[in-house]
Amino acid sequence: MKVKRSASKTLTYTVLIIMVLVCVAPLLIILMNSFKGKLFISDDLFAFLTPQSFVGGANYVSGVTKMNFVGAFGTSLFVTVASVILIVFLCSMTAWYLVRVKNKFTSVLFYLFVFAMIVPFQMVMFTMSWVSNRLSLGNPVGILVLYLGFGAGLSVFIFTGFLKSIPIDIEEAAIIDGCTPMQVFFKVVFPIMRPTIITVAILDVMWIWNDYLLPLIVLDTGYTTLPIAIQKIFTGGYGAVDMGGLMAMLVLSIIPIIIFYLAAQKHIIEGVVAGAVKG
Amino acid sequence: MASISLQHIVKVYSGGVTAVNDFNLEIKSEEFIVLVGPSGCGKSTVLRMIAGLEEITGGELYIGERLVNEVSPKDRDIAMVFQTYALYPHMTVYKNMAFSLELKKMPKDEIDLRVREAARVLDIEHLLTRKPKALSGGQRQRVALGRAMVRNPAVFLLDEPLSNLDAKLRASMRTELIKLHGRLGTTFVYVTHDQTEAMTMGDRIVVMKDGLVQQVDTPQNLYDMPCNVFVAGFIGSPQMNILKGVLHRNTDDAAGADGKSYVEIGEDKLYLPPEKCSNALLAFAQRDVFVGIRSEDLHDDEAFLAENPNAVITAKVDVAELMGSEVYLYLQYRETSLTARVAPNTTSRIGDTVKIGIDVSKIHLFDALSERNILI
Ligand SMILES: Nc1ncnc2c1ncn2[C@@H]1O[C@H](COP(=O)(O)OP(=O)(O)O)[C@@H](O)[C@H]1O
Ligand SMILES: [Mg+2]
Repeated sequence: MKVKRSASKTLTYTVLIIMVLVCVAPLLIILMNSFKGKLFISDDLFAFLTPQSFVGGANYVSGVTKMNFVGAFGTSLFVTVASVILIVFLCSMTAWYLVRVKNKFTSVLFYLFVFAMIVPFQMVMFTMSWVSNRLSLGNPVGILVLYLGFGAGLSVFIFTGFLKSIPIDIEEAAIIDGCTPMQVFFKVVFPIMRPTIITVAILDVMWIWNDYLLPLIVLDTGYTTLPIAIQKIFTGGYGAVDMGGLMAMLVLSIIPIIIFYLAAQKHIIEGVVAGAVKG
Repeated sequence: MASISLQHIVKVYSGGVTAVNDFNLEIKSEEFIVLVGPSGCGKSTVLRMIAGLEEITGGELYIGERLVNEVSPKDRDIAMVFQTYALYPHMTVYKNMAFSLELKKMPKDEIDLRVREAARVLDIEHLLTRKPKALSGGQRQRVALGRAMVRNPAVFLLDEPLSNLDAKLRASMRTELIKLHGRLGTTFVYVTHDQTEAMTMGDRIVVMKDGLVQQVDTPQNLYDMPCNVFVAGFIGSPQMNILKGVLHRNTDDAAGADGKSYVEIGEDKLYLPPEKCSNALLAFAQRDVFVGIRSEDLHDDEAFLAENPNAVITAKVDVAELMGSEVYLYLQYRETSLTARVAPNTTSRIGDTVKIGIDVSKIHLFDALSERNILI
């Protein structure tokens, strides 16, 4: 009995550990290689770090100096943060309106958002780049409009799903307590939506921070986000690729997202539990 | 502390449903008025129109002297307690109660004073720092009341506030609400589908059905003089027994002094006492009527049967339920079932065929067509 139990436990843990390794391996390989010398990287990408191959922070220094890391990081940070704030505020308000105001117009609007969610980016890529050109959206502020547009579908969909579960009584109580519609939203509805807002924010932060194609297509020369900058410098025309620098810059670009995820994760779990208890 | 006047109030929902039709009611200041009726009869709609949450399709609504049809909820000087309590889940109990005062930009120390006073009255002082999800149903109920109390409103609106509580808690909250009403001296408008709640709490009761007011009166008057079959059946527990019969009213009889008028139910005759034989009954002679008999007006004891031989029926006992101080007899009489509340020393047993005496001085007569009470 006891033996059987520990055997099945061992099996469970083995499977779990393998799964974790599969997920974490790419990250670890990049991290490892970011400390290896150039030759060692091209020699064997998967070899473990050894004292011989270790070059300290050299790759980081060369990477940061070769590309305008600070500039690209700043652009990425601005675009990501601003887009996510826009998406979260505007989409949650839109969703609230769609849920609370029931008529033909709002139901058509809702289906448009759902439709926008399922249309693949590649399908609208060319028309979009044309439009963005015409409207001069090829800069870090203009691109926010595009991100808002592409993010709205899924965000509105998720928000409406959650808002339907909030009893309207709570909002009516707030109206009687003296809230204006704006206050009902910001003092009552928005705080209640917090777990969902954090979920949407995480999804959007990861997508926008890592997005390569959209900024590549629309951004005018002179503006680069991190993924573009990394790609441009290190696989650019001139001869040998600086694999070490590439790895180092990848590590640096992942760090903010990991920090953000760890910080936000607690709130997601909290939200899920609160919902379960309320039942 | 305000009177409320509803004049010819109509509510038609956008789908075309007429939820409330020609609703007229004068609610006195400091009165505890209860709207009661089966689910879907429009009680909540009336309450929500008073609150300003629902637009009024037609008619005029006054709170105090002021016409408030177009006044927004927050300016009506009302507070509302919802069936679901509708507490703000992200705020502590304290914040929940302070919220409306903060919106009014009341000074912090005065808010604190009011919240703590309400919490003391409701006995929830120890819960002030908790979030609603950490409270039991009864505690949430109190917080919802507290949230309404701190505002010191002229009118309290309560929509089935007790229906989510268990039976025992509900009974104790009933008395607490009555006490609270006495203490606050505020006008209470209370909605419920439970006639027991209505009977025990209301100064006056409004009985509604299908969006129409059936009767407005004190609990005692509703019980003694229901204006129609619906009110008669709705008010009182167990339900009033209703029998169908034909009224025989001899036109030769002098009004009041005959004893020859009777209601014929099959072969049985219920002779009406002189005081029930008004001239108004003449209009219904030879017509179908419903006879309404409260369960306590059916008797199975020898003494009663001997004294009142004028209205005796035979019925079969289906079930006898001992309720402690009394026994409920569920009887089969012709095609109808009757309920009788008799003394616990009854000799009637399940399966017996027994003689049942009807206290005709207490019966109600309703016209079978209009279902209106023809004795009042
Ligand atoms: N928002 C609404 N839209 C359309 N019909 C409604 C709405 N709210 C209530 N009704 C209808 O109005 C009638 C009265 O409802 P309500 O006042 O909630 O009844 P009660 O509170 O007495 O159970 C019902 O027939 C109900 O279906
Ligand atoms: Mg209701």
